[in-house]
Amino acid sequence: MKVSKHGLFFLVSLISIGIGFSSPALAQEKVVREALKASDIRSLDPHYGTTTIDYACIDPMFNGLVRFKPQDINPEKIEPDLAERWERSKDGLVWTFYLRKGVKFHKGYGEMTSEDVKFSLEKAANKATSGFAGDYAALAKVEALDKYTVRLTFKSVIPSVLGILTNYHGGYIISKKAYEEKGDKFKFDPIGTGPFMLKEYIPKEKLVEARHPDFFRGKPALDRIEFWFMPDASSREMAFRKGEIDLVEGEREQAWVKKMRDIPGTAIEIFGPGETLVLHFNMSKKPLDDVRVRRAICHAINIKELMAFLGPDVTEPLVSVIPMSYLGGTDKVPTYEFSPEKAKKLLTEAGYAKGLDLSMVITEMSDYRRPMEQVQEQLRRVGINLKMDVITHTAFHEQIRKDVNPFVLYVAARFPVADTFLTQFFHSKSIVGTPTAVTNFSHYNKIDDLIDKARGEVDLNKQKELWAEAQKKILEDAAALPLCITRFVFSRKVYVDLGYEMRSTLNLSPPIAWTTDSKKK
Amino acid sequence: MIQYILRRMIYVLPTLWAVVTFVFFIIRLVPGGPAMAVLGSYATAESIRELEKQMGLDKPLIVQYGNFLKDLCRGDLGKSMITKRPVSSEIAKALPYTIDLTIAGMLIGIVLGIPIGIMTALKRNRAPDYIGRILSLVGISMPEFYLGILLMYLLAIKLDLFPVLGGGNMSHLGSRLHHLALPALTLGIIMTSFISRMVRSSMLNVLKEDYVRTAKAKGLKERVVIYKHALRNALIPTVTVIGLYASILMGGSVLTEIIYSRPGLGKMMVFAVKDRDYIALQSVIIVFSAFVFLFNLLTDLLYGLIDPRIEYH
Repeated sequence: MKVSKHGLFFLVSLISIGIGFSSPALAQEKVVREALKASDIRSLDPHYGTTTIDYACIDPMFNGLVRFKPQDINPEKIEPDLAERWERSKDGLVWTFYLRKGVKFHKGYGEMTSEDVKFSLEKAANKATSGFAGDYAALAKVEALDKYTVRLTFKSVIPSVLGILTNYHGGYIISKKAYEEKGDKFKFDPIGTGPFMLKEYIPKEKLVEARHPDFFRGKPALDRIEFWFMPDASSREMAFRKGEIDLVEGEREQAWVKKMRDIPGTAIEIFGPGETLVLHFNMSKKPLDDVRVRRAICHAINIKELMAFLGPDVTEPLVSVIPMSYLGGTDKVPTYEFSPEKAKKLLTEAGYAKGLDLSMVITEMSDYRRPMEQVQEQLRRVGINLKMDVITHTAFHEQIRKDVNPFVLYVAARFPVADTFLTQFFHSKSIVGTPTAVTNFSHYNKIDDLIDKARGEVDLNKQKELWAEAQKKILEDAAALPLCITRFVFSRKVYVDLGYEMRSTLNLSPPIAWTTDSKKK
Repeated sequence: MIQYILRRMIYVLPTLWAVVTFVFFIIRLVPGGPAMAVLGSYATAESIRELEKQMGLDKPLIVQYGNFLKDLCRGDLGKSMITKRPVSSEIAKALPYTIDLTIAGMLIGIVLGIPIGIMTALKRNRAPDYIGRILSLVGISMPEFYLGILLMYLLAIKLDLFPVLGGGNMSHLGSRLHHLALPALTLGIIMTSFISRMVRSSMLNVLKEDYVRTAKAKGLKERVVIYKHALRNALIPTVTVIGLYASILMGGSVLTEIIYSRPGLGKMMVFAVKDRDYIALQSVIIVFSAFVFLFNLLTDLLYGLIDPRIEYH
């Protein structure tokens, strides 16, 4: 047994060495460690970042000309950020922004000027350098009038000019000098004006951002932020329990909320805008080309039961296809009461008295799969047998764009203006399978005029009326059925002070602001 | 022996080519593509096509394959379709984490598995044998992600002995070992179970052999009989199993790396599959295949060390 003893001795020695010489803790540093459901970032170029982890890492490093308050996504409350003020022409086509003076880019890249703004917005509007170019299709030109003044001219009026200039997607301002110098490398070595700057990036593990000492609003309270890429829910939970993580992305499930609430020193953040769960009926194919079948499905689904299944803390009602909290959202639309009898009657009228067999693909992601399994069971009760094939999320996105499903459950968060949802999901230009396709899975084409008219309308009240009319029409035609909203869930150690009350954010995770602090002892 | 090694290396080239070709085509047959992963789910069909063109995915498959082989022959693995960074540098960063984990898992397996196997063989049908066999059965049956979470809960949270996050500071030996301990133990326990069962079974066979009886009859000490005569002969099938499971262990690192957030090759592979990063995936598979070849070669060479009768032709 000599070998065994030696072996054990060797193992114990290795572990002891590990424990004895582990990295010294930097107790004096103020750090917040956040764990997100991701394997890695895809891009730190803000004009390409599209995932939750990208948003979380990008936001503390950049600013827009204007901004949403950290806790509020109401487009009517957008406030100045890199621009101190702005003016717009009477026709709404020309906007002049006066920039804040003395704003410094990270790592000695100099002062932010109108040239940087012009460069950033032109980059955001260019398909070759931005994933959000479509949002800037109406932007005709950007002019740097002097060092601190920028003029934007639009080809046509758009619903929210300030919206596309916020700290979101293409609205982020980057350093022209840094981008030209770094080229492709900018994607993982970005330079912005935000309260934190990139310090270290270990692919597949973590990203560290350090305080930007010259941040224009003041000295950030934290020394460092660490974003950990942790796709596994159990690992995130363990790391949070052990105190190695201070802020953790949760599962949007009641059980998870309850479990985390029981951990001492934990606060649960449940916030909006959440993601809408909407069933988009494919009106181009049998049998859902028949409005009676679509309405039957609407009546067969018990939304209250679905919300109870998903969890009362993490869901909220969705009356129309656009949430009420969005600019242009309304609840004055036709609704479909839960009535299996009506569903069966409509199916009989449509010639499906003996029931109906449907098949579809669904992603493995639980945010989609779980509600869809509930819907499947509810449809079975009225005689609609739905066969579901579970596939990967990437494959799902490709398949639903090829019209393989009779209806698509789509979980979405978008810029909080009705035009975005209506254009992407219900304008004929967005019908899947066409060259300009986005996400119109219904093949719906009956409200183009309303969407286009609302987009060009300068009177906000009239604009809202047009958007409301469009939503009413969608529900009348049963082109889609709004199910509910699932809210975002995070756990936070109580010693982390976000610096604001978390209500809603387009970041999809609580933004780390310059005022965010850690009181960990 | 050098000639033997060189010949083996030449033989492995067609195998590597076949694996790479298979992966090249199969990954492209799976629905979904990297352009949508980059642009997000609300990208227009036009912008997806534009990006696919930039990525060279608009070219015929055979042209893409030709370009891939041409670059590979030059030793250029290409750039990741998602991150745009050279894949070779990404692999170079990730590889040490996976190698650390595989070697440590194997060491734990060997150091614990061989003595346990010997002990259970010598104490056949007695309490230590029953306990050892039950434990090894548990080790084999338990999925590594579950074992990982269990160890994390017991040793990191309850006993506060180890960290649960990341691979540690690679330039700091203490930090590196400290972060390695739990993931290595996870794989090590599974490896221990396989090795101990194999050693037990081989030992039981060898102990029945005439030469062992002869050694005992000669009046040799029990220790000499076991370690010099029995164990040495029992090790040949054990080495085969270790070689085989070393490759499986490397594959097993995928889940372990995800559970412990280690930025290794396994995590890189999962990310590449998820995002359809064809270039990164092909490259990771090449590296994994090369390691399987290396483990097989080392196993064959070890036979010669254990049993001098084996010659290399």
